[in-house]
Amino acid sequence: MSDHDLQLEEKPELAPGPERPFDAGSEALTEALRSSFWIVKIVMFLLLIVFLGSGFFTVEPQEQAMIIRLGRPVGEGQKALLGPGLHWSFPYPIDEYVKVPISAIQRVGSTVGWYATTPEQEQAGTEEASLPVQFPLNPLIDGYVLTADRNIVHTRATLTYHISDPVAYVFNFVNASNAVQSALDNALIYAATQFKVDDILTRDVAGFKEAVRKRVVDLVGQQNLGVEVEECLVQSRPPRQLKDAFDSVLKAALARQKVLEDAHSYEAQVSSKAGADARSLVNFAESDRSRLVNEVRSQADRFNDLLPKFRQNPSLFVQQRLTETLGRVLTNAQEKIFVTDGNGGGAAGLPKEFRVLLNREPPKKSDETKP
Amino acid sequence: MKRNPLILAIGILLVAIVCLLLFVFQVRKSEVVVVTTFGKPTRDISQPGPHPKWPWPIESVHRFDQRVQNFEDKLTEGLTQDSFNVLASVYVGWDITDPKAFFPKFAGSSEPIAEAEKVMDRMLSNAKAAVIGKHPLVDFLAPNEGNKFAEIEKEILEVMQSQVKANNYGLKIEFLGIKRLGLPENVTASVFERMQAERKRLADKSQFEGEAEAQTIRAEADRKAAVVLADAGAQATAIRGKGEAEAAKSLTVFQQNPELANFIFRLSALEDSLKDKSTLILDQQTPPFDLFRGVSTNLTNPAR
Repeated sequence: MSDHDLQLEEKPELAPGPERPFDAGSEALTEALRSSFWIVKIVMFLLLIVFLGSGFFTVEPQEQAMIIRLGRPVGEGQKALLGPGLHWSFPYPIDEYVKVPISAIQRVGSTVGWYATTPEQEQAGTEEASLPVQFPLNPLIDGYVLTADRNIVHTRATLTYHISDPVAYVFNFVNASNAVQSALDNALIYAATQFKVDDILTRDVAGFKEAVRKRVVDLVGQQNLGVEVEECLVQSRPPRQLKDAFDSVLKAALARQKVLEDAHSYEAQVSSKAGADARSLVNFAESDRSRLVNEVRSQADRFNDLLPKFRQNPSLFVQQRLTETLGRVLTNAQEKIFVTDGNGGGAAGLPKEFRVLLNREPPKKSDETKP
Repeated sequence: MKRNPLILAIGILLVAIVCLLLFVFQVRKSEVVVVTTFGKPTRDISQPGPHPKWPWPIESVHRFDQRVQNFEDKLTEGLTQDSFNVLASVYVGWDITDPKAFFPKFAGSSEPIAEAEKVMDRMLSNAKAAVIGKHPLVDFLAPNEGNKFAEIEKEILEVMQSQVKANNYGLKIEFLGIKRLGLPENVTASVFERMQAERKRLADKSQFEGEAEAQTIRAEADRKAAVVLADAGAQATAIRGKGEAEAAKSLTVFQQNPELANFIFRLSALEDSLKDKSTLILDQQTPPFDLFRGVSTNLTNPAR
């Protein structure tokens, strides 16, 4: 087309030609035509280079690309995927290329189940502020989930995944990440309907998380979204209206633990004391036993020693032992009062009477402390 | 004037391109195409690649996205079998499967996809209400075994699929799931009140149970201690008894002369009892103080 235009442009110059000398005019015309053809050729060549050069594109390390030639992807399955680097395709309308962020981790958050907050509130930590119990939840504003025991609880999930089948991800879904998000939302409320409120919040947090994850993986697989779930994080919280009530249950549980610990320490104390007492009882008995046995045995030995002497002269023996013993006893005795009988004094017929003032010495300790 | 062969070649190429643009069209993998001849749909093509056609105005090409569309409906209220109000919204993945059927119904508007979704929205409201009405609330909310959540989703999907088929919309619901499940706003407040009462009950229960359990532990500890002590007491008695029995064996020695034994016992008892500070009051009868009486001792008689 452009060469026609150029030819037309030359015509006005050609028109006033006949008045000029023919030779010089035609020569100049040929010269002009030749040079303009050269310019046209160079421009066309440059255009061709630019046209072909526009088919170059780079693929970043975290992405892969597919070339679509006349509407069909080039290659099948994994072969269709171009790795990182420089690639070339025919320019539109022959080829098109599509980039897919394949190795990059994608992240979606659930959109149901959490009360309305703003990022500022989350930053300041005021989104948890408790509300009066009578404050209702507007289902259009505040999200929540219903639990198996018909309670209301807030929960949200974050899912990370990567694209494992880019062909399916790109060509089977208008918006595959949206479908993943819907699957996550569905998993969240589905799992919640099977768990009791205490399980979700405290008792079986891991089980709940696993249920959510399993459901997402199932749905994503059934729907052939071409993605692989990596991680699923779930966070749950009681309604702000019931914060105090839930806290009080936690507190009661802690108090209960404390009471039980006290009881267990009492148990340990009592049982160790009982053990010690029991051992000392047995030990006392053992020592009593050995003392008794030894005593009797020593007496028996002594008896055996004395028996022959006694047999020689019983009466003398008895007297001797008695006197000897009495002598020893009297030496040891601190105070001795000797009472003579007969008519020592007092009125006739009256029994003798004497009075003793017993005054024990103070314990010896006082002597020791004196100096 | 001589013609440059290069220019000729370029000219032919350009004509060829123009012809191709007029007589050939592309179908992308993600698209499905309906070709109309003088406005009447005659062919539908879902095979990607280049395809021939007559130029406008004989045939014209209508493209539709063949991929799965995401669609979410609004939150609507339904009454369960046991008369609970439940709010539910669902998400739907759908795609165009029969473009020739789809085309005449929706292509009239500028946004055929949105038009189709509007129709689906109406059908979904009915389907949800119908299915929710067939189930009591316990089918939605129940621990693992009784939970029919997945069945409910499946039933809604079946209702939708049969309606779509009956109306021959040329589209297919690929998947459907409940996206939100809630209660009417005024009901939530009463749920909170119930939950609060339940929390209070749990807190009280926890406290009472803790105290009761602690008491049991203490009582059990006391009982065990008593048992241990009683056992030890019995053992001690047994040991003492054994000791006495052992001692009794030695007693046979004393039977050789009980009189002497008795004498010895009494002597040692006497000595033991007067070991410490003690006061003795004696009279002349007691030997050896009978000497004071001035009479002859027993010795005089037997000795001589």
